[in-house]
Amino acid sequence: MHAPTWLRWAWVVPAAFLVAFLAIPLASLGRQVISPGTVGYLFDPLPWQVAGLASGQAIVSTLLALAIGLPMANVLTRYRFWGRRWALALATVPFVLPTVVVALAFRALLGGSLGSGFAIVVLAHAYLNLAVVVRIVGARWVTIDPRMDLTARSLGAGPWTAFRTVTWPALRPAIASAAAIVFVFSFTSLGVVLLIGDSSTRTLESLVLRQTSILLDFQGAAVSAAIQALVVGSVLVLAARQRAAQRGGSARPMRLIRPRGRSSLAVGVVATAAAVIVLAPVLALVWASLRSSSGWTLAWWSGLFGPNTIDAGSTRIGSPLSAMARSLTFAIATGAVAAVVGGLAAVSVLTGRIGRAFAIATALPLGISAATLGLGTLLAYGRPPLDLRATGLLVPIAHALIAVPLVVAVATPTLRATDPRLVTVAANLGARPTRAWWTGYGPALRTVMVAAGGLACAVSLGEFGAASFLARADGPTVPLVIARLLGRPGEASFGVAAALAVVLVIMTTTLVAAVDRGGRRR
Amino acid sequence: MKRIPAPFVLVLTASALLLAACSSESAPETETEASSAGSVTVQLLTHDSFALSEDVIADFEESSGINIELVSGGDAGSMVAGAILAAGAPTADVMFGVDNTLVTRALDEGVFEPYTSPEADSLRPDLADQTFDGLVTPIDFGDVCINIDDTWFEAEGIAPPTTLDDLVDPAYSGLLVVQDPGTSSPGLAFLLSTVARYGDEWPNYWQQLKGNNVAIAGSWSDAYYGDFTFGGGGDRPIVVSYATSPPAEIVYAEGEPPETVSTSSMDDGCYRQIEYAGILAGTDNVEAAQQVVDWLLSAPVQEDIPLNMFVFPARADTPLPEVFTEFAGQVEMPEQLPADYVAENVEGLLTEWGSVMGR
Repeated sequence: MHAPTWLRWAWVVPAAFLVAFLAIPLASLGRQVISPGTVGYLFDPLPWQVAGLASGQAIVSTLLALAIGLPMANVLTRYRFWGRRWALALATVPFVLPTVVVALAFRALLGGSLGSGFAIVVLAHAYLNLAVVVRIVGARWVTIDPRMDLTARSLGAGPWTAFRTVTWPALRPAIASAAAIVFVFSFTSLGVVLLIGDSSTRTLESLVLRQTSILLDFQGAAVSAAIQALVVGSVLVLAARQRAAQRGGSARPMRLIRPRGRSSLAVGVVATAAAVIVLAPVLALVWASLRSSSGWTLAWWSGLFGPNTIDAGSTRIGSPLSAMARSLTFAIATGAVAAVVGGLAAVSVLTGRIGRAFAIATALPLGISAATLGLGTLLAYGRPPLDLRATGLLVPIAHALIAVPLVVAVATPTLRATDPRLVTVAANLGARPTRAWWTGYGPALRTVMVAAGGLACAVSLGEFGAASFLARADGPTVPLVIARLLGRPGEASFGVAAALAVVLVIMTTTLVAAVDRGGRRR
Repeated sequence: MKRIPAPFVLVLTASALLLAACSSESAPETETEASSAGSVTVQLLTHDSFALSEDVIADFEESSGINIELVSGGDAGSMVAGAILAAGAPTADVMFGVDNTLVTRALDEGVFEPYTSPEADSLRPDLADQTFDGLVTPIDFGDVCINIDDTWFEAEGIAPPTTLDDLVDPAYSGLLVVQDPGTSSPGLAFLLSTVARYGDEWPNYWQQLKGNNVAIAGSWSDAYYGDFTFGGGGDRPIVVSYATSPPAEIVYAEGEPPETVSTSSMDDGCYRQIEYAGILAGTDNVEAAQQVVDWLLSAPVQEDIPLNMFVFPARADTPLPEVFTEFAGQVEMPEQLPADYVAENVEGLLTEWGSVMGR
């Protein structure tokens, strides 16, 4: 391939990022905790049993997320209908809702019939990860030419055969990507299982938390965290193997299909069902934000924006507006960092084995428990001689660590499917290597980076674990404020938390819709 | 070649900056800035339930010339874990919020530097000996107690329970929700309270609770807002919470505060949690850190603590707000276990609890 020279070195930036912000914190932590005796903890059956339990739960969550998410991805990214852009942005909302909020909303909606336990946890996980499926699979699906499917049908294939032989092979890498990520998120879930789970839904992440902050058993926690990283790493490598390089499918997004006749009905049903599924918990939150013991009230909303904000004058929560501004700033910073690092990592996948290895390595942070990463970052960068806490960079960096693998997952399938002969043609027509390469891959990159950027911003807006370790005590993000409010009694606490959660939903939808719009304009 | 149009990026960034500017009127003045040459900054490591009024902090900063930078370490347990891992080369100067279930572990790891504050002479008599040889200073205490929804019991015409033994009475079957002690601090405190009360027979007590259809929630929020009849529209009128939860009904009410509260705290079976502050060993700012510890135990802070953190001040004769004296549980004889006993046995207790309750 006529690759420009700089491309061969594209992996350096993601590698440096990982070394600085993943390897060094883990090493700082490991140095304190790990000793020769730690190996003995590997023979404790408990973490392995929990790993087995969590794997089962994660598999079911993944299947459910795919079952709901694939039709949504199909309809929301490929068909033209009124409100499509907002519907697509809304689909990202579950992903950004803090898990505390989702868990409580699900309990409110379904807790009566399902109670706590496996069923409600799996439903909550599928809900939270719909955005992953829609974005990753959708970004690829939209580049598959619908006319190929039509051609197959006109040659006599039934609709399912046409799907199986034409669309499915092209889509499989993206589905494998999405499934791997949903599995990892469900496997490492913490908030949901703590709040609405029971003994059948334990995860290694909850075990690490217990060992770290209640038992102060650091060696046991290190072993549990290592086992979790091992499982996650294996799943990611397996998924990468599944993703054989695929040809077929232009890199440009196809024109949107205008649904006609029967397909119009199907599109309508799926779009409506998607809206109901996504919005039901959100509406529960809106309802909670307007209710008090004396009926309907606007007090919680005015508590957010009015002059008497809740806890005004106290360090604990401060102004909700400043928390919103802080969250938004962190989100934009995360999006920028993740786009650069993730984009370079995705591009380096094309160049060879080292690049592919690093692209998988960028996904490791997903398997490292937030407690481990938070403590390690504090030990490495939270004290003299290198104290980065005051710069406010630690939170976006931690968020970028989690967002980069998502960027890579969204970008890689489409990049891989791009026909490299375009580059050759451009080079033969006289273009310099960089220009030729950009002619071939530019359109694909532009489409996927926008989808990826939206996802990265969403991750940052809703992230709780790393922020709780690394944010200043008087400089919380919106999820931190919500968690603090929910941690104390009083109807104002609950009402304002619900209102803030609704604000988070609005912020996400707007930000994601703006980013999407910017990418769509041509 | 088009990217995200610059106007969009500009609009977003401008909005973010505008929001930040508009809200800066309440941004605390405690941001780290070398306001004058020679001003010292003390980093105060706390957990995420810490709160004090900004005026109280600003007054101290003015009078002492010390800048206070608030650093968060997550929840109380994570904060202590971080301090233990960083022992000797700490991430802050003073740590506040380590409680009596975790403090001996931190002491054993050499996290603290000894300092006996002159203000410690003003401690309540029952806390005066709680300094562990001058390594830590008690700052506040709270009681984890059973909370009862009185309106529910009135409506049903049943007398509410008054002792731990009542909770296993079949008359109260299916009415109690507790938190999992492995994932919740008040849940652990309630378990320790039953251990203190019943000694080696505590598994039998929990067996009976299980027979009485106790519900187990994963966290305080889940129990109080999800299962408790008063807070969350659940179906359990008895919940493990804090002695200071009833006053919150008034403090955090909408509009006109109610005259009286609908929940009350059961005085029997409460477990006392004491929070300490200490100077982290290895800090450079020892003198300034000492002043901060003195300040935490001083009258202005101690008076400010109740309505901000919903715990009781450790300083003797601190005036309490009216909602506290009227509606908070005043527990004379809480259950307590020695701190080193807890540190040694917590893992065994949790494992046995798990096998008794089938979790």
